[in-house]
Amino acid sequence: MEHPQTNVNAQITPHYRGMTDDQCRLIHRASLEILERTGVLLYYQPAVDLLKKAGCYVEENRVRIPAHLVEWALRAAPSHIRLYDRSGKPALQLGDRISNFGTGSDCLHILDHRTNERRDALCQDIVDGIRVADAMPHIDFIMSMFLPSDAPDAADVRQMEGMLNYSAKPICFVTYEWEGTAEIIDMLEVVAGGAEQLQARPTAILYINPTSGFRHNEEALRKLMYVAEKHLPCVYWPEVGRGLTCPITFAGAMACSNAGHLAGLVIAQLVNEGAPVALCTAVPFSLDMKTMVVPYVDPDCKAFGLEMSHYYNLPAFNWGGMSDSKLLDEQAIMEATLSLFVATINGGNLIHDVGYMESGLMGSLELVVICDEIISWLKASMQGLEINEETLALDVIHEHALSGDFLGAEHTLRHVREDWQPRLIDRHNYEQWMAGGGTSMRERARAKIDEILGAEPRHILPPDIEKRIRTITERVIAASGGISLKD
Amino acid sequence: MADMVQRIAKKLYQGDIEAVGELVQDALDAGMAPGEVLKDALLAGMDEVGRDFKEGVLFVPEVLFAARAMHAGMDLLRPLLADSEIASSGKCVLGTVKGDLHDIGKNLVTMMLEGGGFEAIDLGIDLEPGTFVDAVREHKPDVVGMSALLTTTMLQMKATIEALEEAGLRDSVKIMIGGAPVTAAFAVQIGADAYAPDAATAVEMARELMA
Ligand code: B1M
Repeated sequence: MEHPQTNVNAQITPHYRGMTDDQCRLIHRASLEILERTGVLLYYQPAVDLLKKAGCYVEENRVRIPAHLVEWALRAAPSHIRLYDRSGKPALQLGDRISNFGTGSDCLHILDHRTNERRDALCQDIVDGIRVADAMPHIDFIMSMFLPSDAPDAADVRQMEGMLNYSAKPICFVTYEWEGTAEIIDMLEVVAGGAEQLQARPTAILYINPTSGFRHNEEALRKLMYVAEKHLPCVYWPEVGRGLTCPITFAGAMACSNAGHLAGLVIAQLVNEGAPVALCTAVPFSLDMKTMVVPYVDPDCKAFGLEMSHYYNLPAFNWGGMSDSKLLDEQAIMEATLSLFVATINGGNLIHDVGYMESGLMGSLELVVICDEIISWLKASMQGLEINEETLALDVIHEHALSGDFLGAEHTLRHVREDWQPRLIDRHNYEQWMAGGGTSMRERARAKIDEILGAEPRHILPPDIEKRIRTITERVIAASGGISLKD
Repeated sequence: MADMVQRIAKKLYQGDIEAVGELVQDALDAGMAPGEVLKDALLAGMDEVGRDFKEGVLFVPEVLFAARAMHAGMDLLRPLLADSEIASSGKCVLGTVKGDLHDIGKNLVTMMLEGGGFEAIDLGIDLEPGTFVDAVREHKPDVVGMSALLTTTMLQMKATIEALEEAGLRDSVKIMIGGAPVTAAFAVQIGADAYAPDAATAVEMARELMA
């Protein structure tokens, strides 16, 4: 600008807030009361001991946490987590309202894009899923998608091996039990070049799911304390179910959810001040009280509970891009779109489960590819408005307006490539579309998958590292006794 | 009497625990046979609840409160009923297997079985095979129910059946299994007697197992 001007805030993105500051304060206060008055049950003695030493009120494994400790932990935890890609470059920022998108883990079934049939997932599907997700420009991080029915033993370790081998993107991973967790982290350290290197440039985040906000199981706590000790990032999400493990009304449910997260945060910070933790704060889950299914997508999910993460200035985990449909039909696309939109406007940082169907039991590669386009669209639409001399273009207006010819303006040429371009959406006229095969969006998604999977798989790891990873996997499989459902 | 039966069934449907207790007492005072109150009012009322739940008319907590109302009525009838009339549906012990903490499905199955007139004993979550064995010794159930939501813990169902075999108790019970990754084929494979894909079917299967 030629002339100085104050109080202008022109470079803003769309604004949305699900909760006011006062509402956040009320939920926060309620959570503090829950932690101080009701307390939580911790099924892991080292965690109980740690909290006792820090001044909590402890009766056996029931721990009541004083407010000052929670508020200390909130100050101690980092506001951002940076995840790196395999080459050591910063890839994701988790914090503020920056949204990153990724797939989910552990679907039992796959909606096979070749046959359009639902079948049990296999090891090959894990590899295929990772390769497809890796090729999607708007899938920012990967989760392994499938649980292989042909190799259920040590499936978490096998999944990590696949993710390390076939993608360089940051990873969000699940371990089923305590066993295997340390080995999986060993794998990540081998790839990073050592424990310190992984700590300095973490490439993965562990997703931990304790039993509920009030009951934190041994495995979950053990995992939390282990990664906190190592200063590695994790998602700690004690899910509470409305009307099941917390009140059915939202305010109470959100306070319970939030309290459970804060308990985890306190533990992590006591283990290692500054331990990086992402939370899903005040987002409870629901059970459909008619069908007894836990829907993954519903307008009631009140994703605005994530506002608590923003209020605390902590990284926010949530979900989007999934559906409860059993078919890749209108419901699937509607739910995937709306859930991605809701997750994004609520400022989720680690938006996972892209491609989930049938309430988390089935995965679809076609849905992943279609969601990639939806995410791309959302990114463009959230971009906000840039107002400056060049974009306001008053001189260009003055020159061309009356003749009505902007097409020939050099200004148009300069900016024409800034518009969002679809990859899957069709915008041809009818004849052009027919000439191109007259395909549906789904058919184009399918063709994309075939193209990706038809190419030579790229090997991410140097052969010696790949071998060392294999050795760890084999060791864990052997230790698990090589159990198999086909026995 | 028909009017009495209707009123009890209606209050039961509404999950009005207190009213069902009072009305059952009224019916008994008016000289109605305890066995008739049980069959025509309580069990028939619960059948309607079950039907409407399956049809998507009722919600889970409404079924739960109806079941509680039925049990309030049962408590009054029990001392008055002949043994043969009491052992109406059967006894089940249920739990989530070792290594598995998912309990929502198991809790719903327990609740629906209670609603179906079964005595259902919830053993909890993360249960060693030995805990099921001990429970069978202690409670002498007709049906043992196991729930698992993880592919890894499904194998504990097999281990539990083997533990029951080793303890010589396998033939004294019927075994029903369920949970999202569990299938009918898996039930056959590990030698369970029944599989149910949802809680309402679990009640039907338990009834079949008792037949
Ligand atoms: C006796 O006879 C019978 C007869 C019928 C029976 C029966 C017994 N038992 C059940 N039935 C049947 O009747 C019921 C009513 O109709 C039905 O019961 P369901 O239990 O199926 O249905 C319930 C009423 C509602 N459904 C549920 O409650 C389960 C929903 C999903 C979303 C789910 C939840 C809620 C949870 N989880 Co978990 N969780 C998932 C689930 C995805 C899904 N769609 O199933 C699943 C099962 N979880 C999974 C995973 C991986 C995990 N979970 C974990 C933890 C949890 C929570 C604690 C957060 C929470 C459970 C809370 C609780 N108190 O139970 C972890 C494991 C913890 C452990 N050791 O158990 C963890 C490993 C994740 C982690 N990051 O640590 C996946 C399992 C994959 C696999 N098969 O191995 C999963 C399919 C989701 C996914 N795609 O990732 C029928 O199956």
